[in-house]
Amino acid sequence: MRAGWSDRMVWRRSAATEAADDAAERFLDLAGFADETLDPDDRERVADWLARDPAAGADVAAARAHAAAPEGFPPLPDAVVARACALVAGRRQPDNIVAFPAWRGDRRRLHGLARWSSLAAAVAVAAWLGFALGTTTSRAYVVSQMPAAASFLGDLLDAQTSSVLPFDEGSQT
Amino acid sequence: MPRDVVSSALLSGDCAAWEAFVRQYGGLIVAAVRGVAPSHGDIEDLTQDVFVRLCKDDFRLLRSYDPARAGLSTWLTIVARSTARDALRRRRVEAVPLDAVAEARLAVAPVEPVERVKLPEALLSPRQREILGMLYDRDMDVAEIARALGIDPQTVRSAHHKAMLKLRAHFKAELG
Repeated sequence: MRAGWSDRMVWRRSAATEAADDAAERFLDLAGFADETLDPDDRERVADWLARDPAAGADVAAARAHAAAPEGFPPLPDAVVARACALVAGRRQPDNIVAFPAWRGDRRRLHGLARWSSLAAAVAVAAWLGFALGTTTSRAYVVSQMPAAASFLGDLLDAQTSSVLPFDEGSQT
Repeated sequence: MPRDVVSSALLSGDCAAWEAFVRQYGGLIVAAVRGVAPSHGDIEDLTQDVFVRLCKDDFRLLRSYDPARAGLSTWLTIVARSTARDALRRRRVEAVPLDAVAEARLAVAPVEPVERVKLPEALLSPRQREILGMLYDRDMDVAEIARALGIDPQTVRSAHHKAMLKLRAHFKAELG
């Protein structure tokens, strides 16, 4: 259901929806009825419900009787009190959670800085890739343009001594 | 009427506050439980069931108490009687020997099923339901409804307005 739905649509939708059993709300309705704190519409609604539910009607009557004499009940035996207190005594106290101090910096500034930093990093990586690729391509081009004789001479000459390598080197078995 | 406030110390699980609460309202709770199970031998157990329910899930039920809507004694009586009745139903089912139960009934839930009602029945008064039904299901106008019910047209408008507020509040999350 979206905003702007007409009253008729809300009514039709409600008529097709089952009410969830909300015990807490039910108890407050009955107690409010017993104490006569409900507005006339809610009072009429709860009265209609009580007419169909005798147990709820008996609860209301008992609540009225008890509310009239709240101090008139005998005290609980100590054993019953101890048993009830055991429910809470063993309860683990909630952990004391220490909150981090709130971030005081300017969020927008931080976002801007992050954006420009990532752009600069991207440019640097692209430049490095371009340079590396260019260098490799250039070397490959130079080697491919080298005359076959120079290449052959390179194989014959010892690079350290510039002397001619013996022909039979590497061919011995 | 005095308005009893459930202390924050009690809701935070303070043992002394809980003991004070148990001592102050325990007698009333026992009396309420006795009202539901006058001949039951386990009044102490039923009373303990009420205390368990009150402090279960970090005092969820006790937190729902609203002093603006009812007195604490009234509310506790209602809670105690309802809890005792539920507990008795469960025990009654548990106490039946297995051989005595027809096989088909073994699938029955231990707690008596709650009557399912449609939302208007749970939220609106019979008068409000009647007026909305006449307006939107039978397409009557305000004057016709006022004549049919023998009330003032302004009363019809007012009832309609209050009813729609309740329904829209219920669907608030969906309506956005």
